[in-house]
Amino acid sequence: MAALTSVLFGLVFVLFSCAMVIAKTRRQLLALTLAGVLAVALVSPPPAQAQGSLVAAIQSVLNVINGLIKTALGSINAVRTAISNFDQQVTWPVALINQAKAMVTQMIGQYRSLMQSIFNINLNSATLANPAALENVMRNHRFNDFASLVSSFGSVYGGVPAATAASPADRAMVDMDDALAVDDLKTLKESDAADDLTLQEANNIESAASQSAPGSAPFLTATAVVASIESQALTQKMLAAELRQEAARLAHQNALGKRGASLTGEVHTEILNLLKRN
Amino acid sequence: MQKVVESVKRASRWASGHRIRVVVLLVVFFLFAPRPVRSQFLDPCCAILAAGLSTISSTLSNIIGGGLRSILSVEKNISTFEQTVVWPQNLINQARSLVASGQTIFNQTQAVMRVPVNSATLPATQQFEQNLLSGNPNQIAQTSAQYTAVYGAVPSATDASPETRDRIDMTDATAKAAMKKAIEIDALAALELQAADRINQSIQTAAPGSAPIIEAQADAWLVRANAYTQSATADLMRVRAIDLANASAGVKNGAANAATVEQQIYNLLKRR
Repeated sequence: MAALTSVLFGLVFVLFSCAMVIAKTRRQLLALTLAGVLAVALVSPPPAQAQGSLVAAIQSVLNVINGLIKTALGSINAVRTAISNFDQQVTWPVALINQAKAMVTQMIGQYRSLMQSIFNINLNSATLANPAALENVMRNHRFNDFASLVSSFGSVYGGVPAATAASPADRAMVDMDDALAVDDLKTLKESDAADDLTLQEANNIESAASQSAPGSAPFLTATAVVASIESQALTQKMLAAELRQEAARLAHQNALGKRGASLTGEVHTEILNLLKRN
Repeated sequence: MQKVVESVKRASRWASGHRIRVVVLLVVFFLFAPRPVRSQFLDPCCAILAAGLSTISSTLSNIIGGGLRSILSVEKNISTFEQTVVWPQNLINQARSLVASGQTIFNQTQAVMRVPVNSATLPATQQFEQNLLSGNPNQIAQTSAQYTAVYGAVPSATDASPETRDRIDMTDATAKAAMKKAIEIDALAALELQAADRINQSIQTAAPGSAPIIEAQADAWLVRANAYTQSATADLMRVRAIDLANASAGVKNGAANAATVEQQIYNLLKRR
């Protein structure tokens, strides 16, 4: 490109020089001079731009960086710092987290053994052999010795009368009463064993709470609620057993009432018959 | 050579004779001649541009880079705090393993509560007891008939006064309803245990952010369980209320009988 420009320039300059040499009159010379000036004016490069506008452009970029961007970054930094401070000082202050964990540990030490020792006090009170055996099997928190319970119950309360010794109605009622009483005693043995497991779970959750973090505590809370549901279900099963027992007691009394009514009717008829004969 | 010298002499003579033309040619030559490219090192414009870019670079580095570094530092601080204090992975895993060990205890508890407790010895009572302990709501319909087989029916109108028959029927109704309620509550408790089991399993695979949702569900189940417990307690209170009413009715009946006997003795003495 530069070589072509030089060749063109050389060609034009030679032609112009020839014209200048050949020109004979002053008028021709003046015309050629004007043509040359005109060519210079037309072909000459545009004037260089002022260096001041470039400085202004750079300065304006610097102004944007120093003003808008710096302020924005400063604001973001301030907000993130505020969030960080809020998290660490208000929402999850390490000191209070440690304090809470220490309180859990302290309460475990203060209450767990004490409550356990109270709960494990031996309440057995029977004095004779058979009742003591029954009481012992009733309160041993085991659910794999129901046969012993039935046997001890029979030793203390006797069995269902033989068919020759009681009416079928009495035998049925006695058997039902005994059955529901023994059912309840069995249910209570199961419930005692379940209680032990529930207490074990409560201890586990409390111990874990003493080493937990705010982010792991929801797991413990959730499992504690689940344990509460289970405990509530066991309470309901006990209530159901108590309902059966109370209902049976009511039914028993009512059956006696029915029998009394029936006997009264029979006596009434007998007296009427007696008076009629007289 | 002589020709060249002669030509130069002639040209210089022509130039001295035509000075204006020579000046014009020189001016045109210098103005038209292609100019060399400006050096980037020597050109003052490029130097200013370079200085400006350098300033921009250093400003970007100091202001934006510094600002971003500060933000990064705060973000790292937050991240470290959250990972070590708020949501430490090892403690989350520890809590999950505790939930898993709790599951074992729950399974043991449920196994304990499933051990059969049936104890009746006679056929009719065995059947009735089986129904009462079934925890099967579909068997509630058979309860009344089995109850009557064991405890008898309401006396006929010829055997008892209307008041006595009413009381007996009311007492039977309450006892039967309580027994039916016991079957119902056993069934509900079994479903609650099933739900608790499922909830506990879902906690084991939960995240710290999703655990509260499961906890909320568990709370709802607990509220429901409390309602069922209240309902069972209500039935128990009904049984005891009827029992109390029966005791009271017994006293009332005794008083009425005493008044009747008194009247009859009075009538007997009057006749004499």
